[in-house]
Amino acid sequence: MIGAELTSRERVMRLFNSEEIDRPPCFSGMGNVTTEGLKKFGYKFAELHSDAKMMSDTAASSHRIFGFECGIVPFDLCVEAEALGCEINVYAHVEDILYPTIKKKLINNEDEMEISIPAGLQMRGRVPLVSETIGLLKKDIGDEVVVGTYVLGPFTLAGQIMELNDLLKLSFKKPDKVGKLLGLLSDAIIVIANQYEKAGADYITVREMGATSDVLSPRLFKNLILPYLKKIFEKLSIPSVIHICGKTNDIVTFMVETGATAISVDQKNDVVQTRQILGKDTLIFGNYDPYNVLVAGAPELVRETIKKCMDDSVSAIWPGCDVWPTVPPENFNAMMDEVKKYRS
Amino acid sequence: MATEEKRKEILEKLRNAVIHYDEDTAKEASNEALNVGLESSDAIFNGLVSGMEEVGRLFEAQEYFVPEMLMCADALYAGLDILKPHVRKMDLGVKGSVVIGTVEGDVHDIGKNIVKMMFDVAGFTIYDLGRDVPLDKFVEEQMKTDSDLVCLSAMMTTTMGGMKKVIDNLKAKNPNIKIMIGGAPVSQDIAEKWGADGYAKDASNALKDAINLVSSLKKLKDEAEAKKVAK
Repeated sequence: MIGAELTSRERVMRLFNSEEIDRPPCFSGMGNVTTEGLKKFGYKFAELHSDAKMMSDTAASSHRIFGFECGIVPFDLCVEAEALGCEINVYAHVEDILYPTIKKKLINNEDEMEISIPAGLQMRGRVPLVSETIGLLKKDIGDEVVVGTYVLGPFTLAGQIMELNDLLKLSFKKPDKVGKLLGLLSDAIIVIANQYEKAGADYITVREMGATSDVLSPRLFKNLILPYLKKIFEKLSIPSVIHICGKTNDIVTFMVETGATAISVDQKNDVVQTRQILGKDTLIFGNYDPYNVLVAGAPELVRETIKKCMDDSVSAIWPGCDVWPTVPPENFNAMMDEVKKYRS
Repeated sequence: MATEEKRKEILEKLRNAVIHYDEDTAKEASNEALNVGLESSDAIFNGLVSGMEEVGRLFEAQEYFVPEMLMCADALYAGLDILKPHVRKMDLGVKGSVVIGTVEGDVHDIGKNIVKMMFDVAGFTIYDLGRDVPLDKFVEEQMKTDSDLVCLSAMMTTTMGGMKKVIDNLKAKNPNIKIMIGGAPVSQDIAEKWGADGYAKDASNALKDAINLVSSLKKLKDEAEAKKVAK
């Protein structure tokens, strides 16, 4: 049996390689900056998205303050769309924390769907900034914990650059046209993801929450979206995670078929059932509710929830979405403590 | 005046047009309804809305998903656009105006638009602020229009906190205002804690709640009409 000599980084990398570990790690592939982290540096959330140093400092802070077992950048979901030519809003004027959104869509109607992907995408928008930040973060905490990043899945990205309303209807009415767009966007995603690999990311999460079964039928997911996800994962050389939130029990086998190293599901997934379907060797990351439990719950609820996730046999304690910044420190500590003391 | 048989046939056609997201048939049947002298509100409620109710059921049964629901909504609107101008206006004793929008930071508006559709059906005056709406705008718009209902939507955990602020501000200015909130991250618990009067967790629930609301208004209207006839 492997002993206490595992560093956190080794633990996670061994997990990705399906090697024996002492306990499930507690980490994420999505944003996890906290207001405690922001306070420590005196940064404002809206400023983080365009400054490598600030982004790196805060990305390391959940590890530094709470012992969270990773550092993740970026913090928003607009990097790819911005590189493709969309303008974003970081809500600099708002006191509260708001995540950046797309100001203006790239595709305004069905006839504009045949876009051309700009050359040199890896040098456009904030892709260089995120790449630089990955490097800074590696230098800062890379010996202790894994450094990860994420990209959007093609369908979710399509929803960023065109009206979701149109995209959903066209997925049904004109799947060929949508498929073509998803193909183009997959190429773009691969370019960006490969750039992050080059920058030194240890693993990458592909966030395809737009394709949840709350929105789309499993059949449409399989026929229209799965082929492009496969194409993306084929082109990744570091460990990878496919994340889809909401209802996912009917698509977990497709999520595995994408070729990702691990699947990530949220609190709406019945993990016991998922484990039964996928068997003991599949890496299933999840599935606590990062808001209603981690932010709004009492520490006891956090402990119960985390224990249940592990009893349900998740491979890693991992949130259902970005960790919402206002998580109370006592809750974050309760989560970390519960994971560390857990013995199955 | 249409025979009962003809009426049933047209209502069934309208209902099916919505269920099968067939905009052309929805238009055709709506024109037919007008031509044979069918009451517009009858065609809307017992045809189009009845179809949408079935769509809600299919959605819940996971036979339909959001794309299908959106296409059904398009068919409903195709019919509604033809029928609505012919609905006889009458005073329900209900003011019937609503301010609706998705809160700042959130650009998702599908759930909001489904709810809006049902208010459209009911003949409400709708002040649709759209999406990514600065929080103060809800309060301003409510004051300006003196609306009795405000509907707030948020699709993301990261934006729903804004709803609480709007609720607090609205209730401080006008304690009698009714507020409905909705969206994936919202729960009954949160709705109660934040002091919202109504809550819908997804489009299908919002649809059901809105249909219930609209149906009870329709009942009021029918009762009022019956009284008038009795006089």
